[in-house]
Amino acid sequence: MKIKSLRDLPQEIAPPRDLWPGIAAHIAPSADAVKASDVAAARPAAGRIVRLRWLAAAAALACLAVGMWIDRSLLPFPGKVEGGALTVSTKGAAGPALDVSYVPDARYQRQRAALLASLQARLNELPPETRTKVLASLATIGKAKEDLERALGKNPGDALLQELLVNTYQDEMRVLIDVHTASNSGEGI
Amino acid sequence: MRTLTTAVLWMSLCVSATAPAAAKTFDREVAADPKGIVDISNVAGAIEVTGWDRNQVSVHGELGEGVERVDVTSEPGHTTIKVVLPNNSGHHDGSAHLKVQIPQGSELDVSAVSADVTATRMQGVQRLQSVSGEVSAELAQANADVKSVSGDVTLRGHGQAAGVHASTVSGDVKIEHAAGDLEVSTVSGDVHGSLDGARSLRVRSTSGNVTFAGKLANGPTVDVESISGELTLKASADGGYAYELTTFSGDIGNCFGEHAERTSQYSPGRALRGTRGNGSGRVHMKSMSGELMLCDK
Repeated sequence: MKIKSLRDLPQEIAPPRDLWPGIAAHIAPSADAVKASDVAAARPAAGRIVRLRWLAAAAALACLAVGMWIDRSLLPFPGKVEGGALTVSTKGAAGPALDVSYVPDARYQRQRAALLASLQARLNELPPETRTKVLASLATIGKAKEDLERALGKNPGDALLQELLVNTYQDEMRVLIDVHTASNSGEGI
Repeated sequence: MRTLTTAVLWMSLCVSATAPAAAKTFDREVAADPKGIVDISNVAGAIEVTGWDRNQVSVHGELGEGVERVDVTSEPGHTTIKVVLPNNSGHHDGSAHLKVQIPQGSELDVSAVSADVTATRMQGVQRLQSVSGEVSAELAQANADVKSVSGDVTLRGHGQAAGVHASTVSGDVKIEHAAGDLEVSTVSGDVHGSLDGARSLRVRSTSGNVTFAGKLANGPTVDVESISGELTLKASADGGYAYELTTFSGDIGNCFGEHAERTSQYSPGRALRGTRGNGSGRVHMKSMSGELMLCDK
């Protein structure tokens, strides 16, 4: 017979060997054992669930604590400069957006923090007009970093933005160092 | 007659009493090594350095009232000129205008705060720095390192290959007839330059605009980058160059009739790649939002 459609196929085909009796024989003893041990196992199982819940809660608390420690210990407060009432905005300098895109290493962070701490005093030693221009330039760098980080937040894998952000960090460091040395009159920039 | 004499004397006395105290002058000449180091530092006023063919350093200074003295020390291979202010003096009341002539082949180190710095006819290495003063120098075959925070920088080359490094924070940079290896960095200053056979050009700005035009050497390397500044390069090179312009959100223009393509269907980046001539050089221009323009005419 020539098959013209799926309907022409047989609806049932008996297997050459029936394996089910063997399988059923293997399953039956296990099922009986489970029934017998249901009552005895109920208490330890409930205990395990309670323990697991406590463990999950402890893990969540630990994660929260680590997060708070990172936030307070490693990331500087946005807009705050130690050692003075400087109005330079450092917002975004190493702020929360950075952990999306770029986190400078610890040595860089230390050097930057040290330069920022003495920035106000250094700026005070510069001629007023220069001080204004330097502050404007630092604000320009800050805005560039914010723009880059915002764009990276939307496009985290963009290599061009990553490269520009790293270079902008280097530029900021160069300016901070230049200001630091420029304020030492006679010692050069 | 007596009355007239008295009147003249009285007038002279009045004039001397009301006129500002005359600036002091300072003159000194010392022997110097033809290729020695000359260090000059001055807080305010001006420093004009000129190279000459004598093995001597000559210093002429017009000193403001706040200047205590000028120290000129000469050791074998090293001459130092330093305008000294009294300890209780601020930066602003002690200006000195120095005119210094030094052997042409000297290595020149100048440091100023608000003083303008000018160096001409020098053949040796130059390191010129000022915080807010303008810095102007003639370039020769030797390297030059010029820095300023807010002052403008002007460099004039003669097509002689040299390594030139200029950096400012907010000051503008202008370079004429640059050859050799050129590196410029600024935050918000604009950079304008004419190229006269430059081998390599590396420029970085944050928001300042960058414009270079002229002739590159054979097989040049060019890297120009900005965050939001406009970048324009109108330069040809014997042997041509391969170019790659990439921007995240800026526009890309060119005079080759090529069209920039999107770098990804999911993000706004654009890129323009191609080759002019034999492609023996390399030109890279990058920005976040600044406009890019490349032309070889």
